[in-house]
Amino acid sequence: MAADEKKKELLERLRNAVIQYDEDAAKEASQEVLDVGMNANDAIFNGLVSGMEEVGRLFEAQEYFVPELLMCADALYAGLDILKPHVEQLDLGVKGSVVIGTVEGDVHDIGKNIVKMMFDVAGFNVYDLGRDVPLDKFVEEQVRTDSDLVCLSAMMTTTMTGMKKVIDNLRTKNPNVKIMIGGAPVSADIAEKWGADGYAKDANNALKDAINMISSLKKLKEEAEAKKRG
Amino acid sequence: MNGTLREELLRSGASVVGVACLKDVLHQDIAHLEKAVSIGVDRNLNEDTVSLLLGLQKRTAGILRKAGYRYLCIPPDSDRIRNTFVSKLYPLFTHKMAATSAGLGWIGKNGLLINPGFGPRLSLATILTDAPLQAGTPIEHSLCGDCGMCMEFCPSDAITGEEWSRNEPFPELINPDRCASHKKKIKALRGKPNCGLCIAICPYGRKTCKDSPTASFVEA
Repeated sequence: MAADEKKKELLERLRNAVIQYDEDAAKEASQEVLDVGMNANDAIFNGLVSGMEEVGRLFEAQEYFVPELLMCADALYAGLDILKPHVEQLDLGVKGSVVIGTVEGDVHDIGKNIVKMMFDVAGFNVYDLGRDVPLDKFVEEQVRTDSDLVCLSAMMTTTMTGMKKVIDNLRTKNPNVKIMIGGAPVSADIAEKWGADGYAKDANNALKDAINMISSLKKLKEEAEAKKRG
Repeated sequence: MNGTLREELLRSGASVVGVACLKDVLHQDIAHLEKAVSIGVDRNLNEDTVSLLLGLQKRTAGILRKAGYRYLCIPPDSDRIRNTFVSKLYPLFTHKMAATSAGLGWIGKNGLLINPGFGPRLSLATILTDAPLQAGTPIEHSLCGDCGMCMEFCPSDAITGEEWSRNEPFPELINPDRCASHKKKIKALRGKPNCGLCIAICPYGRKTCKDSPTASFVEA
């Protein structure tokens, strides 16, 4: 049972390293995970990501602010860089590719980067367009990469209207693509009104929703193919 | 906690240590970390200076973390190009502002932090924190006085001779184009853009520089 205890201890250390934004501790614990032959996937999700979930809660409760949030994300990546090469298979049931960016006129990309991180963690192919992205670029990139999902972020009421345009254009080119929007001025109501498939309140919800969306999309594709063959 | 932190840092190689209270002057994203621990290291212009500063910063972070406080390390300017999330916040902050607020010195005619003991020969790093540290007395005006050696010796005539004062708009101390074009010339000649005459010539700390860590506090 010593192995179980060691595992528990390491998960706790990974989690705390993220919460306490201690990059060195995250690296150390991650290396130990590999040394004792523990499952890297387990360490990422039940250690690092579990810590980030708590950080999200602290941020929402206004106990943590932007600097802490960013340092926690850095600590998570420090661990992830060590663990990721050893992840054999992510048992999320689904993988996908995603185009992500902050819309034209908007230079706020902290939220976008956190969401991007969650996709990275989950093993998605992420095409990050960065910030202040021209509206047409989202459509071009989706077509070029044949991505399952497009994530749009805006932090200002003045720039969020650009998201509606992108959604309309994407729908014209590819009715099946899933679209998710997020950012401070966005709400579930707006997402529905503009025809987005999902609205992300925070990074964690974004990932969960994205996985659901992609699996439903994959299912649709499979059904269509089965029909063709049948 | 002030005393132990300062002693620990001085023992570990810091040349000067000060604390500033930056209430109401910080960007809103970092405003909750209103105390700044300013660390200066006698600069020998080599890589050891930067790694020593980073090490001191880590030590400070460890002490603060252990005591249950928040902190944000702002690395030395020469080590800012890092691809991390938190590096986005570095431009919100200047080391010199923290150092003058902590009473470690003033902004000289050469645009650099001048410490009475070490002159402009310090490399700086800062740790912002919410720990209730006792802040030093800020220095409000330049103490360069009539001295204008940096101005006279500047090979590119880039130093204007203006004087810094905290409550006045930041004056144009240096003509950046002139300074840069001179460094470019030097680079073409010697492969490295180092000039540094305005550092070498400053009479403040020219003798004491290498030996006395007790020269760290402002007597003026």
